[in-house]
Amino acid sequence: MTDKSIADRGLIKSRSSRPARGGAAAPRRLLQPLGLPWVLPALVFTIGVIYFGVGYTGYASTLDWNGLSPNPPSVGAGNYIRIFQDPVFWQSLQHTVVFFVVGFVIQTALGITFAVLLHSKVKFAVIYKIIIFVPVVLAPAIMAPVFRQFYGANGQFNWLLDHIGLGFLTQPWLAQSSTALGVIIAIQIWQFTGLTFVLYFAAMGQIDTEVLEAARIDGASNLRILVSIIWPGVWGTTVALAMLTAIGSLKTFDIPYLVTIGGPNFSTEFLGTYIYRISIPQAHVGYGSALSVLLLILALTMAILLQSGGREKKGKNL
Amino acid sequence: MFEARSRRTKIGLQLIVTLMVLPYLFPLIAMVQGSLSGLGWGNYAKVLEVPGFWLFFRNSAIIAACTIIIVYAVSLPAAFGFSKLHIRRKEVYFWLILACITLPEVVLLAPLFSMASALGLYNTYWAVIIPLAALHVPFALLLSRNFVDGIPNELFEAARVDGASSLLVFWNVVVPLSRPIAAAIIIFTLLASWNNYLLPLVFLQDPSTQTITLIPQFFVGEFNNDQTKVLAAAVITALPEVGAYLLLQRLFERGLSAGAIK
Amino acid sequence: MHRNIRNKSRRRAIAGIAVLGVAVASLVGCAAGPTTTDEGSATSGDLTWWGWSPQPGPAEEFLTAFNKEYPDIHITYKNLTLDGWDAALRPALASPNGPDLFGISPGPKVANYGEQAVDITPALEESLGKDWKSKVSALVSVPQMYTESGKLVGAGVGSANGGSMWINKDLFDKYDLTPPTTMDEWLDDCEVFKANGVTCFVQGAAQAAFDRDHLQAIADNLKPGVWQAASEGKAKWTDPVIVEALTIWKSLFTKGVMQEGAVGAMHFPDANNAFFSGNVAMIMMGTWYMQYATIKGMTAAMTAAGIADPKPFVTIPIPYPSVNGKPSTDYHLFGDVDYAVAVNSKSPNVAAATTFAIWLGTSEAGQQLIANTGGSVASLKSAQPIWDEIPLVDPDVQVGPISDLIKAAGTITEPRLGILTQDMTNAVGIAATTVGAGEATPEEAAKTLQATFDQFG
Repeated sequence: MTDKSIADRGLIKSRSSRPARGGAAAPRRLLQPLGLPWVLPALVFTIGVIYFGVGYTGYASTLDWNGLSPNPPSVGAGNYIRIFQDPVFWQSLQHTVVFFVVGFVIQTALGITFAVLLHSKVKFAVIYKIIIFVPVVLAPAIMAPVFRQFYGANGQFNWLLDHIGLGFLTQPWLAQSSTALGVIIAIQIWQFTGLTFVLYFAAMGQIDTEVLEAARIDGASNLRILVSIIWPGVWGTTVALAMLTAIGSLKTFDIPYLVTIGGPNFSTEFLGTYIYRISIPQAHVGYGSALSVLLLILALTMAILLQSGGREKKGKNL
Repeated sequence: MFEARSRRTKIGLQLIVTLMVLPYLFPLIAMVQGSLSGLGWGNYAKVLEVPGFWLFFRNSAIIAACTIIIVYAVSLPAAFGFSKLHIRRKEVYFWLILACITLPEVVLLAPLFSMASALGLYNTYWAVIIPLAALHVPFALLLSRNFVDGIPNELFEAARVDGASSLLVFWNVVVPLSRPIAAAIIIFTLLASWNNYLLPLVFLQDPSTQTITLIPQFFVGEFNNDQTKVLAAAVITALPEVGAYLLLQRLFERGLSAGAIK
Repeated sequence: MHRNIRNKSRRRAIAGIAVLGVAVASLVGCAAGPTTTDEGSATSGDLTWWGWSPQPGPAEEFLTAFNKEYPDIHITYKNLTLDGWDAALRPALASPNGPDLFGISPGPKVANYGEQAVDITPALEESLGKDWKSKVSALVSVPQMYTESGKLVGAGVGSANGGSMWINKDLFDKYDLTPPTTMDEWLDDCEVFKANGVTCFVQGAAQAAFDRDHLQAIADNLKPGVWQAASEGKAKWTDPVIVEALTIWKSLFTKGVMQEGAVGAMHFPDANNAFFSGNVAMIMMGTWYMQYATIKGMTAAMTAAGIADPKPFVTIPIPYPSVNGKPSTDYHLFGDVDYAVAVNSKSPNVAAATTFAIWLGTSEAGQQLIANTGGSVASLKSAQPIWDEIPLVDPDVQVGPISDLIKAAGTITEPRLGILTQDMTNAVGIAATTVGAGEATPEEAAKTLQATFDQFG
């Protein structure tokens, strides 16, 4: 390492504040050692593998190509123009938004509730934790037929409704455009609450117990504590999760594709499933690539918006 | 968090958690039930009898282990670099890497194939490990950067006074402290690589190199589909992951609380 | 050549970047798998074969039998599911490392991958003589098996044919019912079954491919030829026959023939497993269901459906009930090659690969195995299932109807999958589900079909 001497001289200058995290710039230190060699492997690795893929996809998005023919004709921006006139694209985008908003809100509520409850000296907490977390490790491919049966006309879900006196609600949930999206969201929530929970559970472990005690002595109710101490205390987690869920929603593929193949009548078509359908079985690789590029742009925009938006809110709160 | 002084509240809380957890339990029960219908435990025996089952298991383990090692070895130094060292336009680089989270795997398939062919990696574990690692470095980096951010500068300063180079500081300060974040990286990368279906399907030709996620194919044909054994295979496949989670649970949670969080 | 140069420099750039990545990775030192390269002759070589069918078990049987004749050709079979087929095969064929042999079937697969197959015609002529067409099923040489440039993409191993229904004969006997020959009889049977808590009919209507089978069966029953003409652009999808087929399809939902929630179910595994659970009287399946007439096949299928102590039931094929007003017990079948084995023109082992493709598709040994496996109707006319070797559940009842089906299959000229592009199959699925769920009228659905056809063909 040529920068050894620099490193020795200038490792850490500021003793005072901890560096800000994430996007904000660290305090300027003139003699800080060079960090580039440290991040180079990660850059080379991801950029080498993934950006090559992005470039390839970008190029393919200008072609009318089936993925195999040697001399595909170029269509310029034709594929992109087509996207905006494609009703299925707009439909799937709409589903993606609904999926994200509804899924995120419910998942967050459940995750926080579970985390709070399991931090409240409940017995057998480990067992609860395992049950909530196991769905995270199961591959959706495996669970798809189970869920089709579960929500089928004669499935366990309708059986359950029958037995708790809600028999009038029974219906073939996956066979109707009006309810299929809801089921897909429910399955998604089932699968990923574990992750949300674990993150919140961890974050709550960081909340100062003295503050909690003090609030209690002041006579704050459980609800009051939840709203005024816990919720702000886990705000960073919420922002991080919002970002990850947004990206995850845009990429959503497994569950809707395997449970309903995007149907009935495109009612559970998402960007992820649409890209797959278009580029793999239907072999419109050019158009699929254009959709992929658009997805990439949307995901990045969402990530940046949520990251900066979340930080602003945090700034105001504190 | 919540205070439950009276017996009644205690029971109440317990009841609420139990009720809330039931919807998570039902599909799991349906799954295990399904895996035991028909031949009962015989389904599990049939899955274990698939020729090469243990070989597939081993291959999955090799791929997961290598991916985990690479992800860890690449992201932790990068986290240190981004968090504590001077890099011009570091946020640009950081987001360049982070942007990779957004790419669906299926989009990458064709380019990866041409890359693997060009490099002679096709039909080797590398053809699966490298893309898997590249796809999971960004998230690991996000976690570990925040984790390293949380290490007080005083520690580094103390090291500096002793005349340590950044390499030594990394080795003596960051690495030992990063055990919890390692647990988080292990769990997340394990889940992703162990469950991955598409990459081994496409890149591993030789049957002796195939992975455990391809086992269900032995029971699904064009005109038949034995779900009982597919489910049994799913349960068997999930066991190591559940085991790893249980084993690393505490470290994992600590890692997360210091990682992406706060 | 311009493309080659560009490829080369692009490859080099990629190689440079990725080598760095590999260098980092190899610091850790992980094991790498083997790679194979081998030049081959017609009787020896190391080959790879990818297929969605057959399954690993039968494939091993085929290869064992093949190796008795050709001990020096080693073939490694890789079974993929249809779901992952396109995702895996397309990039593989685009690379120099693709499989030596790959499964192919008429229609979308020929369109996508056919150009990379070696023309199998000369090998067929060598194996069966100049008059090879007379010795094999007509489906082997339908236009859909040829590429635009006139290559025959593979020697069809067997055919899969649709347009038939399969019934649980035991249930019909139990309630003293006869299999329906008309729509009215069908409705009557359903009422009896329903009254006794038996599901009359199941369809996994979420799966477009099998909706297409059913709609094609209705349309052919109404007026043969219209469906094919519409598929080929010679008739409109808005033709009254198609609209009426959709109307009849809709009535199956409104009159309670279809099981509840059919639109949300898959044909495989959902409807299929429901049938084998033994409480469903009828299902829309084709010749591929012959394998379940055997004790072995039926027992396995029932176990797979979750029956703990399976007692095989008798299942037989019947023609689709007549919907044109004239009672008839004739089959209107359509079908095509289930799979052919194509030889990859980029393979270094073309000769040995051809040896296997021809052996499986035309040799008596290979074709008898296909016939006895029961998944498809063998291509070689002389290869018929030997029922003594594959005991049926009740030969007295089953041999007759199954032989009729095989006979009817031998005269098929109308394609099944081969007729539609993937875009159109998708569109048919959408038409079927929207009409079935009452979200579109048959007329609207037909219009949408025509619009899709105009766009994609």
